Amino acid sequence: MRFVILVKADKQSEAGILPDEKLLAAMGKYNEELVNAGVMLAGEGLHASSKGARVRFSGGKTTVIDGPFAETKELVAGFWIWEVKSRDEAIQWLKRAPFDGGAEVEIRQVFEAEDFGAEFTPELRQQEERLRERMGQKK
Amino acid sequence: MRFMMLMIPKGYEQATPGTMPDAEGVARMMKYNESLQKAGVLLALDGLHPPSMGARVSFAGGKPKVTDGPFAEAKEVLGGYWMIQVKSMDEAVAWASRCPGSENEVIEIRQVQEFADFPSDVQKAAAGFVEMQAQAGQRTSGR
Repeated sequence: MRFVILVKADKQSEAGILPDEKLLAAMGKYNEELVNAGVMLAGEGLHASSKGARVRFSGGKTTVIDGPFAETKELVAGFWIWEVKSRDEAIQWLKRAPFDGGAEVEIRQVFEAEDFGAEFTPELRQQEERLRERMGQKK
Repeated sequence: MRFMMLMIPKGYEQATPGTMPDAEGVARMMKYNESLQKAGVLLALDGLHPPSMGARVSFAGGKPKVTDGPFAEAKEVLGGYWMIQVKSMDEAVAWASRCPGSENEVIEIRQVQEFADFPSDVQKAAAGFVEMQAQAGQRTSGR
């Protein structure tokens, strides 16, 4: 099963301050362990929300709001996608991550085609498979 | 440039374990996904089970502490994401605006940090990251 691991933003990441060399080196080592174990499928950092935007859908209309989103406590600073056998395994891996200082990280399971029942019709399943094949996304 | 489009569905923070999207919504979204794919901008996409099935790990004082979902204090949560490759922020916003979003859904658009965005000392410390992504089978803008 796949999990998305969401690393929350903090004042530093929102200010566009990059991690120091020590943390980068520790994170590099950790990432290497994840890759060696065949757990890591993807991992990225995101630019601060001040460079981002939001599109809100309401009453059939869209409104664009430019970042930063100061009122939001739950901004994402980066993420991994992991392939593991259980939620517990994901938690065990995450516990070994070189975070400190009250960092908060969220673990969320990804919907797989087999999670769906008959409402995900054979036509929709084929369409989904075609999409993933053409994107070359690993799952 | 790569962008994450983060789908934030209103009320998903309270969804019970096992909540599934409805077929009509999925069919509508698949049409949109196909338009992204046909335009050659789609790199990856996924939907996430509700936070009530998830967990959070916090690291106060370097010690991991696990809290099971749901997260009572969360006002908005992630429902899914798209990773797209486009030429500008404007193009990303235009794509997000075409999404068949439901009432009160929000899509947050955030640029992905590319290796080339980092100053040289950070690039040095993060050496091997791009190779690591490649080994993980990940599609990045460089490939």
